[in-house]
Amino acid sequence: MTVPPRRRVALGAALVATLMAAGCGGSGSDDGTITLDLGLFGTFGFEEAGLYDEYMELHPEIRIEEESVERSADYYRALQTRLAAGSGLADIQGIEIGFVADVAANHADAFVDFAARDNADEVLGHYYDWKVEGATTSDGRVVGLGTDAGPEAMCFRRDLFEQAGLPTDREQLAQLWSTWDGYLELGRQYDASPTKPEGSAFLDSPASVFSAAVYQGQTAYDDEDGNPIPESSDGVATAWQHASAAAGEGMTANLIQFGDEWNSAFANGAFATISCPAWMLGYITGQAGDEGEGVWDVAPLPGGAGNWGGSWLGVTESSEHQEEAIALVEWLTAPEQQVRMFTEEAHFPSSQQAAEDPAVATATSDYFSGAPVGQIFGESAAALRFTPIGPYDTQIQEAFTNALSTVAEGTSPDDAFQAALDEIDQVVGG
Amino acid sequence: MTTLASAPEETVSAAAPVAPPRRRRGRGGKVTAAGPLTYVLLGLTALVSVFPLYWTAVAASKTNAELAGTPPPFLPDADLFTNIGRAMEEAPIGLAIVNSVVVASCITVGTVLCSTLAGFAFAKLRFRGNGALLALVIGTMMVPTQLAIIPLFILIAELQWVDHLQAVVLPTLVSAFGVFFMRQFLSQALPDELLEAARVDGASTLRTFWSVVVPVARPAMAVLAMLTFLTAWNDFFWPIIALTTDNPTVQVALAGLGGGYVPDTAVIMAGTLIGTLPVLVVFVVLGKQIVGGIMQGAVKG
Amino acid sequence: MTIASDDPRVAAAAAPPPAPPPGPPVRRRRRLTRNRWGYAYVAPFFVLFACFSLYPFLYTAWISLHEVRLSDIDGAEFVGLGNYSALLQNEFFWNAARNTLTIGVLSTVPQLAMALGLAHLLNYKLRGRTFYRVAMLMPYATSIAAATLVFAQLFGHDYGLINTLLEAVGFDRVDWESGTWTSQFAISVIVIWRWTGYNALIYLAAMQAIPGDLYEAATLDGASRWQQFLHVTIPALKPTILFTIVVSTIGAVQLFGEPLLFSGNGMTSGGVSNQYQTLGLLMYDQGWTNFHLGQAAATAWAMFLIILVVVGGYALLARRRARAER
Repeated sequence: MTVPPRRRVALGAALVATLMAAGCGGSGSDDGTITLDLGLFGTFGFEEAGLYDEYMELHPEIRIEEESVERSADYYRALQTRLAAGSGLADIQGIEIGFVADVAANHADAFVDFAARDNADEVLGHYYDWKVEGATTSDGRVVGLGTDAGPEAMCFRRDLFEQAGLPTDREQLAQLWSTWDGYLELGRQYDASPTKPEGSAFLDSPASVFSAAVYQGQTAYDDEDGNPIPESSDGVATAWQHASAAAGEGMTANLIQFGDEWNSAFANGAFATISCPAWMLGYITGQAGDEGEGVWDVAPLPGGAGNWGGSWLGVTESSEHQEEAIALVEWLTAPEQQVRMFTEEAHFPSSQQAAEDPAVATATSDYFSGAPVGQIFGESAAALRFTPIGPYDTQIQEAFTNALSTVAEGTSPDDAFQAALDEIDQVVGG
Repeated sequence: MTTLASAPEETVSAAAPVAPPRRRRGRGGKVTAAGPLTYVLLGLTALVSVFPLYWTAVAASKTNAELAGTPPPFLPDADLFTNIGRAMEEAPIGLAIVNSVVVASCITVGTVLCSTLAGFAFAKLRFRGNGALLALVIGTMMVPTQLAIIPLFILIAELQWVDHLQAVVLPTLVSAFGVFFMRQFLSQALPDELLEAARVDGASTLRTFWSVVVPVARPAMAVLAMLTFLTAWNDFFWPIIALTTDNPTVQVALAGLGGGYVPDTAVIMAGTLIGTLPVLVVFVVLGKQIVGGIMQGAVKG
Repeated sequence: MTIASDDPRVAAAAAPPPAPPPGPPVRRRRRLTRNRWGYAYVAPFFVLFACFSLYPFLYTAWISLHEVRLSDIDGAEFVGLGNYSALLQNEFFWNAARNTLTIGVLSTVPQLAMALGLAHLLNYKLRGRTFYRVAMLMPYATSIAAATLVFAQLFGHDYGLINTLLEAVGFDRVDWESGTWTSQFAISVIVIWRWTGYNALIYLAAMQAIPGDLYEAATLDGASRWQQFLHVTIPALKPTILFTIVVSTIGAVQLFGEPLLFSGNGMTSGGVSNQYQTLGLLMYDQGWTNFHLGQAAATAWAMFLIILVVVGGYALLARRRARAER
């Protein structure tokens, strides 16, 4: 049997059409429920903490659907495209600290302004001031409500310190490394120790010093208007001085943070300290595994308070269920829920009220040798001031930390600094 | 898929009387048996090629800490199935596989069809402007595509296709590579006299295409189908922008796996593993097609 | 821009003796080849092409004449050829161009040579040939996530298998990632791994279309296997080889995924001192990390011009050689 060719083409076309139609069916039922979409990236954890289920029980008319992309870079690329096209946005979008300045400066009108709402005092009042300022535009709009924060501390390996003959008491260490100079001095002692494990370094990467210290200045990468000032910022200058000293003296393992070797190094004891935002504790637990239990410990960060990371939830103006979406965001970010996110998912609250809740403030970590993590991170968060941020902070930081790696490989600090500035010129665009 | 694959065979037998005396196609693969050295070389290459997939299975059953141990583990264990279960829970992988099968199949069928038609025309038919058109096709291969996604997304958004599968299928269907590939293949493999003979026997152009061109093009079509399917299956850059995890392809669904500040490598790898399995099935089916194409030539020859 | 092969040897392969009777075929050929049906055949492709390729590409060209940020496309400012002249003075562009060239040569040449050899082996009468064919394509089927994991581990400085082996035979550990040559070599290895099987299969398909009697004739003439490979297989594969060279060149200039995955942490700078940043990665860096669409578009079109010159060079060479042999 032969099918005439012409008909066969038609058959093929029909097949293609049917397959396509089969694929795009299913747009949702109309039984009075409202579906709210959340577009998020990997780090939120509401679903895992059971918050969606609880909310849907409280509000049976609401259905919550989360679309999550694991890597924030992939997420942000999609969000940028959708914002540029003015289409395809979810009801609620997650906004990370790395791009909140861009959203505030360039896309504020795509998001609901929380400062303009009647209950603004109530929903914004329980936060640390710096958290709200991070999402505030120059004309006073607030583009999102804060979820977690990343107050910083210094994590260290008790076993390696002991072998190298360094003190292991976290309060004593806090005294010794109250400044970065004190920290580097301990690093020299560690390096010089004949008994330290062979091949182990004092810290993972010069980035550990740089990215923590840079936010301890009056300014980090940007001026008040969010314009990059890498050459004149006091934060950059001091951070570079300390970090390039660490790199140049060879006390770092010079690993690329979040690279594969860095991940492996947690389990293999390749370094003794790493500056750690609250969320890094989970990272260390995951990478070092059960064998790391009781080996790691936490002490306050040298040089004062610092913050790395944290996110916001914004409600899009294009949402068809704006009021419902706002209610959900307000609930998810309320102090009670932030406390739960800490106890269940170890996300540190950006709400001061939540951070002062005993469930957070008195928390200790068995894995980290019983360290009073709630207190350490809480004090760091309470001591933070708002440092101006800009749309290119992530890229600028990468330019500096890349340059520091070359210092560890033998480039002179001045040449490396110049290379970083060239790279930043390229990033910011003349 | 099936209609396309089985069609040429029927047509070949139907067209046999009009076909010219055939030369034997297909090379001396049947004449020359492989020596042991060939097997050793191919075996080594196969080992190197398959190793990452095997390693995926190992990584899918270990924690990050276990993977980093010295010496590294070399065998997967029972946690593999636990992690596959977790991956299936975390992301709608079932739906994603169905979607990917639909998307990749549509793209494959469409690309092979369009490319064979156009490749044949460029290889064997002379029409005004064919050189310029071919240059245009090859030219588009040279422009990197990453930037095109912004205008493309604006277009897709206007058409209200965001989150619908045709948003991935239609733009990906356009394969300059495919057209160029079929053109180069057919210009070598399709002797002009075959076309002449069909013409003399009064076959219409379309009939000539089905009864003469397609049978000759078959191994190349199978290879193009395989490559296209794989490219479509692994495509990530555009789908993650055009779709969401609401209605994802496999790669989009996998991108949502292992979330949290600590990426859970084991779960990501477990998801990757089940996401690759359907590809293996396609391999076996199309792989047979390529082999089948040669055998047929040999029998008929 | 003709990639068309008027190579006499291919013509010979396609039309071996006995020669067709003189006269009629010529007339018939003319009738066949002047054919308006051509438009109908290319139409399906070109309709889709116009919508989903041509329009975005022209848009890219227009963008390249503007200073424009991803977050503010409507605020584009016309700068004429400003992005292009800035590119020519940009050390990052020249660095990426150099890296692209070295990685391109290091990866393409061995890749195609090995693919040709593999295809030849696969074309023998083999037990379990489907298995080998499928296995060859596994690298191309392996997802980026899995490949990243494997190669980042293999080339790791402290725990990598390759360094462990080097150390075992008495060499020093190599810091693959941070060196210029070592990182480019490692990336070439990934490229070769990923694409050799792909090209082998393309060659294999073409080998299967070579008429068996050509080999029979060669065997009768007492040609060894190697001579057959050189004098029958290679000439008959010429259009396909040309095809793979063109496609690999395009792929090499646009190389992007492998250097991106080699860093293991998704950075787009191509190493801490850009030691393995390729043009494709630079464009991605400009457009999607730094959000300067105008610059990225200019880089994209510069890449287009580079490929155009190289491929045009090939075409010219091929034509000149064909003419010389005639």
